[in-house]
Amino acid sequence: MAQASSEPAAGSAAAVTIRLPEDVDLHARPAADFVRTAMGFSASVQVAAGEREVDAKSLLSVLALGAKGGTELRLTAAGDDAAAALEALSARVTTLSD
Amino acid sequence: MVGIVVVSHSSELAEGLAALAAQMAGPDVRIEPAGGLPNGELGTDEDRVRAAIRAADQGAGVVVLGDLGSAILTVRHVLERHNGNGTVRLVDAPIVEGAVAAAVTASANMPLDDVARSAEEARGAGKL
Repeated sequence: MAQASSEPAAGSAAAVTIRLPEDVDLHARPAADFVRTAMGFSASVQVAAGEREVDAKSLLSVLALGAKGGTELRLTAAGDDAAAALEALSARVTTLSD
Repeated sequence: MVGIVVVSHSSELAEGLAALAAQMAGPDVRIEPAGGLPNGELGTDEDRVRAAIRAADQGAGVVVLGDLGSAILTVRHVLERHNGNGTVRLVDAPIVEGAVAAAVTASANMPLDDVARSAEEARGAGKL
């Protein structure tokens, strides 16, 4: 019998790793686009780059991450729409542009 | 959508900051500068603040940021007479970080409390 999908059930916590496009730093407008997407969900969302982890809905915290193009971002979310939030954020990250 | 007003002693500073915040927040958020005196000198002017609040108000509230002491006094004088039934909120925040954070939060269609909070959180946000 096939195993249950690895997609987390609604209402649980979820995590995903996604790489920033090589030519886009997570600064200025790309950071604003990222944060705006996170704000569209009620789940709490954290984003980590390297050793630092911050609230994905806080623009200034995301800016202070200083994530350069090509950096791997680890996203974690908790709340009713956690899985949807990570899906939307992953899609947003891959399409970020300056 | 919540509007933003930036009050500075310098018209150039207010206008430059409004442009910076608008670049991050996109075209839907009204970010209005209120800087300088009508004669071109440095200072803050109640009529300019009042006009900026009116221009920023789309019905969801307005967050106001000031640069230094007497800018805050000017805003307080204006709000004593008219505060839109509490929907015009003067926040205690560093003006550049606060305005940018508030504008981006407003652009996500967040309510007044969230926009005001995002500006005030800028007080504790390190840059490094």
